[in-house]
Amino acid sequence: MIELKGVEKYYGSTHVLKGVDLRVEKGEFMAVTGSSGSGKSTLLNIIGGMDRPDSGSVSVAGESISSYSDEHLTRYRREKIGFIFQFFNLLPNLTVFENIEMPLLLKGSGNDEKVRSFIRRVGLEGKSQRYPHQLSGGEQQRVAIARALIHDPELVLADEPTGSLDSRTGRMIMELIRELARETNKTVILVTHEQNISAFARGSVLLKDGVINPAVGQAD
Amino acid sequence: MKFTKSIRLFVLRNIRSEKFLTLLAVIGVALGVGLFVGVKAASDRALSSFESDIRGITPHANFEIIDASGIDFNEKIYRKIREMDNSSYPVLQVGAYLPDLKQTIILNGIDVIRSAAYLETPGADGLNMESIFTDPGGILISRAFADRFSLKKGDTLRALVYDGRYALKVAGILNMRNLPAVTVFMDLGNFQEYFHKTGLLSRIDISAGRQEAGKIEKILPPGLAVEKKTTIIENRSSLLKSFRYNLQFISLIAVLVGIFLLYNTVFISVVKRRTEIGILRSLGMDKRTVIGIFLFQGLILGLAGSLLGILLGQVAAYFAVTAVAKTVSTMYGAVSVSDYLLSGKDAVSALFLGVAVSLIASAVPAYESSRIRPDESAREGSFEWKYGRYMKHLFLAGLCLVALGGIVSFIDYLYVPFNFPLLAYAGILLIIAGFASTSPLYLALSMKCIRRVSSGLFGATGKLSAGDISGNIYRFSVALMSVAISGALIIAFLLLIFSFRASLKEWIQKNIAADIYIKPASCMSNFCYYPLSGPLVRKVEGYPGVAAVDRFRTLRINFMGRKIVAGFGDTKVQRKYSHARDYGKGREAGISSYLATKYHLKKGDTIELATPKGDMAFTVRAVFSSYSTTSGFIYLDRKYLRKYWGLDDATQLGLYIKKGADVKNIVRGLREELLPRYSVEIMDNRELRDSVLAIFNKTFAITYAIELISIIVSMIGVITTLLTLVLEKKREISIIRYLGGSWKQIRHVLVLSAGTIGLTGILLGMIMGPLMSIILIEVVNKISFGWEIRLRVPLFYLSAVIVLLFLTTLSAGLIPAAVAKKTDPRRFISFE
Repeated sequence: MIELKGVEKYYGSTHVLKGVDLRVEKGEFMAVTGSSGSGKSTLLNIIGGMDRPDSGSVSVAGESISSYSDEHLTRYRREKIGFIFQFFNLLPNLTVFENIEMPLLLKGSGNDEKVRSFIRRVGLEGKSQRYPHQLSGGEQQRVAIARALIHDPELVLADEPTGSLDSRTGRMIMELIRELARETNKTVILVTHEQNISAFARGSVLLKDGVINPAVGQAD
Repeated sequence: MKFTKSIRLFVLRNIRSEKFLTLLAVIGVALGVGLFVGVKAASDRALSSFESDIRGITPHANFEIIDASGIDFNEKIYRKIREMDNSSYPVLQVGAYLPDLKQTIILNGIDVIRSAAYLETPGADGLNMESIFTDPGGILISRAFADRFSLKKGDTLRALVYDGRYALKVAGILNMRNLPAVTVFMDLGNFQEYFHKTGLLSRIDISAGRQEAGKIEKILPPGLAVEKKTTIIENRSSLLKSFRYNLQFISLIAVLVGIFLLYNTVFISVVKRRTEIGILRSLGMDKRTVIGIFLFQGLILGLAGSLLGILLGQVAAYFAVTAVAKTVSTMYGAVSVSDYLLSGKDAVSALFLGVAVSLIASAVPAYESSRIRPDESAREGSFEWKYGRYMKHLFLAGLCLVALGGIVSFIDYLYVPFNFPLLAYAGILLIIAGFASTSPLYLALSMKCIRRVSSGLFGATGKLSAGDISGNIYRFSVALMSVAISGALIIAFLLLIFSFRASLKEWIQKNIAADIYIKPASCMSNFCYYPLSGPLVRKVEGYPGVAAVDRFRTLRINFMGRKIVAGFGDTKVQRKYSHARDYGKGREAGISSYLATKYHLKKGDTIELATPKGDMAFTVRAVFSSYSTTSGFIYLDRKYLRKYWGLDDATQLGLYIKKGADVKNIVRGLREELLPRYSVEIMDNRELRDSVLAIFNKTFAITYAIELISIIVSMIGVITTLLTLVLEKKREISIIRYLGGSWKQIRHVLVLSAGTIGLTGILLGMIMGPLMSIILIEVVNKISFGWEIRLRVPLFYLSAVIVLLFLTTLSAGLIPAAVAKKTDPRRFISFE
């Protein structure tokens, strides 16, 4: 479903990705591990349409996104991608409900009932009218997960989703991501530098020195 | 850490990283300061021009002998005075107009031989004494005047003097440094002969002690008086006071908006850097240093604004000088200001104003910065949430301030405790401050309604915009106040100007009743003080088709220790032809509302007027609005001019034509008959009405300009607020981009936010503006000018201007949108 061929990326004179080849099938939960600065986030940005490779190709569901215009990429993100970040990145002036609802609204299709069901699903009943600063870190990440899935994307990209949580909460969050991905049959690419977190994924690759190394382990 | 290092690290570096924002704040302050200083310089120059004119050529003269009614007097007395005081200098003075140069000059006939010591300054262009005495119309002009109009010795200028046309020949150029450019000298004898004023003087300058002056006073004939130069200067300055304070006050509002801008910039800086402040506090930085950092930041912006303000002030002064001189000449008498360069004193006052503005603006945010706790610093929104608690208190305090503003203005209205409407000005400022305090809660409450509507109408962008505003109430309320002040200013001035124009039109309808008017062409003021030639008046009176002539005479008379304008008209003629009031039955007078307000006079009261025959009591028969002067006006029948002043001449003529006669034909005939010999303006009723309206339009031109600048400054306020939010919210913008929001949607959010602020600000301005206009019309105007203005609401113009302001505010969202587009979302997300 997702296929990267010979993807290279430079930032100035720094050669970040040096010909990345990667294939992720639909419904797969893939972890990309690697040390800090190995280019994991860059890879995720390229798959998510936030960045373009300098060379190589990226195709999602048979369509090459490398040739997309900026406007097309925006539509691609809006419809096909769900992002989960390390620092949650919720909009501080919107309530839990409004944060989760936002991807739907950006598509021009609000659905209150769907939002409420996601709020229930991530265990935030009774907190829908709270603001992000009134929530704990774990709760904020639950909002982010609901937001990433509400618009039924084909692909969920999670960048260090447990990086700013304690290990217990981190595990709970990973379980939630895994369950929801399984329930909704979503493709998930998880970027992490923690081995125990990558273990939640079904497949795992290591990004080192700008290239993908073969699978380093299987979970479940 | 050393304070200087703190400044370098935390102030200069921050300013460097926010160049555009800093630039906007600096421009805002500079516009306010520049306008204030420019207007101040212009009115200062008008005053000093008055002063130089009064001081005359002799630097030591401290008294002058003048006719109490401001007319020229018989020179015989000079011989007697000279016997008592050898340091006396006679002057015969008149305002003249040079049509080719479009310039008014003050023509002074002086004793050139006795004044030679003052004229022969180093570098003088070799005075040709012979030419001064022998050439009819030989004049001495200042170097500045010569340079400005490229004049040289021997040049001839056409001049309108009194009611005649004359040629003036440049006999020499003076290098006197303190000489106003438009002061022109002539030999007294030459002057008297050339302009047919033999045996007359306008004043005698003397330098004497108090006792000596007292002795001189005793020998003066009735009507003449010894007056201290400083008192005359003070009196003349006080005429300008109202006009000056009004301009100064309007420009002060621009400064006020500048304070908002600076406050906003420093406040945003505090909010933006709360994490940094928290870290510094946890590292041990004391509160005083934190306060110092932000005060210093404000100070730097204020100083930069002041420096730029000095440059802008120079430009403002250039334009303001022309506008002020024109208005002053029209309302108070010929004055011509040529020096528009800002002085060192002006520059210092600009710097002082800038520093004061910056300290006021940065005091609150600086204090707030010191209250940031390390543990709250990283939490999103904590700053605004913490402030949320004070909204209700601020709202109540704001209401109290608005009420106080109203009360203070009402006290001014009732009791007029000062010579100028100080309390009313304070009232307006209190009302602005009050509305500023109410604005956060007002915005928060408004957003409760708007949020629902906006989300429903605009979906995601509506929700994002409403969320943004609701989450940043304090910051947005600063922008809201900028719009509100703009809106209020526009509404207040539109109401004032339209009400004034409508009232003026009514007044014109009622008072300009004669069919034809004649006045000396050299007279550029609303009132003329130099009489028309007797033969001219007689010719007009006997002109075929003319039924009657109302011979009108103006004098400057003393009333309650101040000079005011007295007009003497033929009320019998007026009554016969225009059903006007007859003031000739008893000793009756009509007084302007200005005098009624200032001296608490009403119909039926008795007033005493100083006449050459002693103080005479008159009964106030009517109180009317006089738009022609702002220093008080008394209207009397001209029979008292003969009886008490011994005069029977006229400075202006109002002609009533016979039934069936053609006005246009008579005007044409009069022009053909009079203009070859006399320099007079002959206008029919319509022309005069149009010219009166045109004069008032010109008078308001400077007000329009100042108002426009205030509006520009407040627009900068809106842009700055939205821009700071964009800069602060780059992460949120990045999140929206990650979620699939397009740049178009982000622009939509910002334009919606600008629109919301525009709408709520204009609504607040619609409450504040009428309040301000009521104070301006009923208190400021009444105390300053005594004009009767009935409130009119120009609905069409108001709606049009409000729509325009709204669209401008809306478009103010486009600049931040353009800046937002430069955001690289990866940078703000990956940074985490």
